[in-house]
Amino acid sequence: MNALKKPMTQKIICIVVALVLTVISGYSFYEQRHYKETVVVSDALTEVQWLSDYVPELKGTFGDTPIFVFDSGVEGGSALICGGTHPYEPATSIAAYVLMENIQVEKGKVFVIPQSSYSATTLGVQGNAYPATVGVTTEWGEVRYKIGERNTNPLDQWPDNFTYINYPSGQSQAYNDLRNLNRCYPGRLDGTFTERVAYAIMEVIRQNNIDISFDYHEASIMYPVVGTYVAHDRAMDIAMMAAMDLSSSEFDMKIEQSPGSLKGFTHREWGDYSDTLAILMETPEPFIDRIVGPMTEELMTTGQDLFLSFAGEKGLTYVPYDLETGWPMETRVGRHLSGCAKAIQYMGMFYPEKELVATWPLYNELVEKGVGAFLHDPSTADPNFVYEV
Amino acid sequence: MNYSVMDIVIILIAMVIAFVVCSKVLKSTEISMAIAGVVAVIFTAAHGWTNEPVKIIVEGLFTNLDLAMTFFFATLFINIYSSSGAMTAVTRSVVSHVNNKWLLLALMAVLMIIPGAISGAGSVSVFVLGGIVYSIVRFMGLSDKKASAFVFVFAIMGAAAPPVNLWTMLMTAQANMPYVGFELLLIIPIVIAGAFTIIYLGWGSKRTPKEEILATMPETDAKLQGVGGLVRILLPLVALIVMFVLTLVIPFSFPVLGLPLMFVICAVIAIICNPKKMSVKDYYKILTGTMDQAFSLIATVLSIGIMQNAMAASGVKGLIGTAFVLLPFIWIYILILIVGPFAQGAMSYGSAIVIGTPLIFMFNTAGMNTTVVVAAMSLMFPIGDCLPPSRIVGRVTLETTGYEGSYMSFLKQIFLPCLVLGLLALLMLVKPAWFAFLA
Amino acid sequence: MTLIEAIIHYTYFIMAAIMGLLLLRNFFKREKKLGLVYDIVYIYCVIPFLLRVLYIK
Repeated sequence: MNALKKPMTQKIICIVVALVLTVISGYSFYEQRHYKETVVVSDALTEVQWLSDYVPELKGTFGDTPIFVFDSGVEGGSALICGGTHPYEPATSIAAYVLMENIQVEKGKVFVIPQSSYSATTLGVQGNAYPATVGVTTEWGEVRYKIGERNTNPLDQWPDNFTYINYPSGQSQAYNDLRNLNRCYPGRLDGTFTERVAYAIMEVIRQNNIDISFDYHEASIMYPVVGTYVAHDRAMDIAMMAAMDLSSSEFDMKIEQSPGSLKGFTHREWGDYSDTLAILMETPEPFIDRIVGPMTEELMTTGQDLFLSFAGEKGLTYVPYDLETGWPMETRVGRHLSGCAKAIQYMGMFYPEKELVATWPLYNELVEKGVGAFLHDPSTADPNFVYEV
Repeated sequence: MNYSVMDIVIILIAMVIAFVVCSKVLKSTEISMAIAGVVAVIFTAAHGWTNEPVKIIVEGLFTNLDLAMTFFFATLFINIYSSSGAMTAVTRSVVSHVNNKWLLLALMAVLMIIPGAISGAGSVSVFVLGGIVYSIVRFMGLSDKKASAFVFVFAIMGAAAPPVNLWTMLMTAQANMPYVGFELLLIIPIVIAGAFTIIYLGWGSKRTPKEEILATMPETDAKLQGVGGLVRILLPLVALIVMFVLTLVIPFSFPVLGLPLMFVICAVIAIICNPKKMSVKDYYKILTGTMDQAFSLIATVLSIGIMQNAMAASGVKGLIGTAFVLLPFIWIYILILIVGPFAQGAMSYGSAIVIGTPLIFMFNTAGMNTTVVVAAMSLMFPIGDCLPPSRIVGRVTLETTGYEGSYMSFLKQIFLPCLVLGLLALLMLVKPAWFAFLA
Repeated sequence: MTLIEAIIHYTYFIMAAIMGLLLLRNFFKREKKLGLVYDIVYIYCVIPFLLRVLYIK
């Protein structure tokens, strides 16, 4: 007992305890940084490119991320689908994976970047205590997907400035948006790490003459632009028709025109700095609302939260909210898949020369069967189609 | 959904009890905040809401890591700068050349606001100019308490002033609003409240005769006199301002330095400009002394990170936010001046996200001008930088000025100026239409 | 510019290391805030700097 009272003994105990905490947490952080998601892509895959093919400076960094190309070989339109711009919105990358595992293309080509801001998948949102991954149950077992950050990992881009100024508009934004991919467009080659990633994605669009580009997002349900297409001026007609069609046939979908005063966003800069028709899509994700209960994986999966139901009863939510239903993962993934399918369909009607014919699971199938029904077992799949992201 | 309101209320109560008891017994705010966070994480794990409690605790330490680095390197810069005698030289010069008390107080107020307005952090104002301004306003006859209050109030006004108001920036980022149209909405209330503060604190004070002041101060080093001396004195401070300005004016040709590195660069310039011969050992002493001096603040911001992460993990953050935004408008108006600043004390800039963002959407739904609403709230949150548990700018101020009275007496002194600023902000929140023309 | 940004990036790791080492020094040898309570505070404050410098978090 007396030994414990000696200062040096106390200090040694402090160091040992601190080291134990460091090792336990360090292991979790390391796992999160290096965790790979597995995808069994459909046999329609024709090529895998990397962002570093467009911006070689990204090679070997956590900014480099794969681009999966599904080319029918038949001349037609082209589409780019970006998941994981904000990896703390995991329905976006899961939607991309479901699409990649099941897509068939008859005409034109489809490019998919499932984790656009790869560096941001390697940590959780600071101060929000998010779980590291979320599970999707399948008949053959559970698949786990990452819940990342909104912003690039400081291990890849440090420091932040006291304010962030978007290139080239000169608009001041919050300091940590310096690491937010969806504030860094159109990006620049000699800019910050995140600006280089943004520039590389712009190059994917420009060099491949992508006709229509989608940026998948999830939004808190107390945010007005939830359950919405946000379309660049040139994509407004298409998005408007798609929203009306979806609202009458599958689910309510709102539409907003990209405000000219908001700089750095995909729905603005993709359209201004390339010829693509740019559309951002938001699904409801209660998990990221500010007034929710404990940060659990269940909340991410089901979207059911008691506090939020109080806000819903008071009319403070911008989509209907029912505690029994919540906003489950399959609904959110399904909205993205149908949302972009519908817009692609209308692009072919408005611009026949850009017609793109491709199929993948849609909203009603997802809601009926769940996400897991559309994921394939990598252990039994042809290894040539199994990829780690 | 596997929790009840009572579960979260119990955790909140447990956190409060842990904080209060530990503060009394252990006499350390820092460890008390950390323990309150650990208690919340234990409950979270016990409920089965997480299976990585250790990760949540350690992850919290990263929440304010950059802030901790800013505090340390800002203190280091000022300590190195002071060691050259430059601070004394600046004070002597100002006292010798400006005779009018009110003019001098106004000048000091504007000076205090500038670093905070550019960097967005009130603590930067205190670190960079707090010591000089404190000395000068003391010579204008203000008591130590009033002089400390002067430093604090203008530091938080600096944080709230444009061009960089972090609360506004965080709220506009969350709400996808452009960060434009806030300049006049932020400046005008600050000018009014600032003028009130100068009169309120300066009233009745009598300036010490110039000769007496100068007699109490050490002589300026010969190498700090004349044009050469002026360069030595001003260069480190000018370098800081130049780096701030270049960041804003030529952002695409100027690298992202970040505040800590800016202070390191200034510290290096201060070493080069130092006329005294100082050894490496002397500078090492300053380095270790700075850690001694800044540790309390560093530990506070790191510990509050544990609490922030734990509050999110356990749902306590959601409980606080829910309780407030579900109130009828009239109660929001009544309570915002208490809840907003206390949220700042508990969650630092997280207050803007947890309390501010839902309110923006509510006011938007009610058809109110959200630019005015955001500006109003951005003037309220900084007031909380003197409130527990974190008290960040309040503590920085008192550590810089060396005020030895009780913290409560300091709070009483700043109450009225803060109230004036708060009431102006509240008026903007209640009647945004009246102020919309300023947006 | 890319090179300068990279230099700044690594400078921050050095700055974090300096802070971590100073905290560790003060953990063993300091003049203010003595005793077990502040030993604990000092040592947990070292953790984030250590993990950052090790390029883990």
